[in-house]
Amino acid sequence: MCGMCGLLGGGNHWSNTTAPVAGANPRRQRLIQAALANRVLVPFRLKLDDFHGQSFVLSSPTGASELVSDFAQVWRAAERMLGHPLDPLTLFIDEPATP
Amino acid sequence: MSLSYDILPLTLVTGFLGSGKSTLLADVLRGDAAQDTAVLVNEFGDVGLDHLLIGEVNARTVLLDNGCVCCSIRGELKDALAALFSQRARGEVPPFTRVVLETTGLATPAPIVATLLADPVIRSHYALNATITVVDAVNAAEQRARHPEWLAQVTAADRLLISKPDLVDETRLTELAASLAALNPAAEILIRGDVSSAKGIDRHAGRALLDMLFASASSIDLIGRLGRAQRLANEDMTMNGLLAHRGERYSTGAASIQSFCMRIDAPIDWQVFTIWFTMLLNRHGDKILRVKGLLSIAGSDQPALLHAVQHLVHPVLHLDAWPSASLNPGRRSQLVFITEGLSRDAIETSYARFQHHLEEAVH
Repeated sequence: MCGMCGLLGGGNHWSNTTAPVAGANPRRQRLIQAALANRVLVPFRLKLDDFHGQSFVLSSPTGASELVSDFAQVWRAAERMLGHPLDPLTLFIDEPATP
Repeated sequence: MSLSYDILPLTLVTGFLGSGKSTLLADVLRGDAAQDTAVLVNEFGDVGLDHLLIGEVNARTVLLDNGCVCCSIRGELKDALAALFSQRARGEVPPFTRVVLETTGLATPAPIVATLLADPVIRSHYALNATITVVDAVNAAEQRARHPEWLAQVTAADRLLISKPDLVDETRLTELAASLAALNPAAEILIRGDVSSAKGIDRHAGRALLDMLFASASSIDLIGRLGRAQRLANEDMTMNGLLAHRGERYSTGAASIQSFCMRIDAPIDWQVFTIWFTMLLNRHGDKILRVKGLLSIAGSDQPALLHAVQHLVHPVLHLDAWPSASLNPGRRSQLVFITEGLSRDAIETSYARFQHHLEEAVH
């Protein structure tokens, strides 16, 4: 929890780790991470927003929204909202397998 | 000795019933060298560890709200560790600097690791140093066939210690070591005692065992073992009757268990990797028994050490520098996966697709 503003969330989940890249800005990396997650979520009409650098808010087109603290919970909440599993092994099946 | 609120290293000792965990601890912790070691056992042992601190932990499982058994919290383990730390701080027990936790023979390590990683009090005071699994040389084959806990214990290990080597012949010992290496390529394999001479395997006894318990997993050793896993994966190689074929799974004996080394040549984008890997563990965490390896991150000279047991990922460590270039030319990312029913191809293809799809957004 942020002691200054009393925001809940954050935590030390491994996916919140900032890569030790020269000139890295943790907040910027977090926003990039949320933008990338939206590349996965938007086709399912879900949206992920950063919440004060502490948590994420996952929202659906029906108006449902949920505060989640890390990416392990993002995918669980997304599956709950969608009512079906999100399987990384079958996503982007049309993409070429080699980058 | 300092009583500062530092983080104490904790070594988890596991192994199937009767594999020799208590005997190992009795041998290791005898004498002055082990004076500053606290021991937690989850049943009363009849070993005379008078000078040591023995706490009792009864298995009580409190499920987290996601209902996943492997992420369940062992409430009494948490209470025992927290109480031990506060007793130490108050001076009620001798000031120990390290802790050994011995599990029951039927325990699977994942819930214990979950407790250590997830609880805010415990993770502030204890750090999981290494998981050591004792493997019974005599009964290994039978236990593997009949008890799934045996496999969970072997795949979760950082070090595998083969006990009772004097009760089996040299051929069986070498075969067992080879099959353990195939099941868990990321683990170091050691043989108890100083009996006869299987080549290429370290022998540890007495004082060396204590060092073995508390040595943290070195990245250089890991690179060496990843190299071994890679050789096994790339070469058709006969290993004491076990065949490992190119691009196929190792012959591990258990039909659906596969272990393989996934290699990514180009430096990875950390954000893309976290999205892919959290998603993979969310959906397939129960089929991924173990992941361990080094990642080369784009824009960084520091390799990241990734270590996961089922859904649980340990805090990512960024090493200061890459180990010597001869062990890992080209600084490739290498991840050893031990999976149940998930093929190497499916995982590699999935990552490649994610990378392709998401990196368009970055650049």
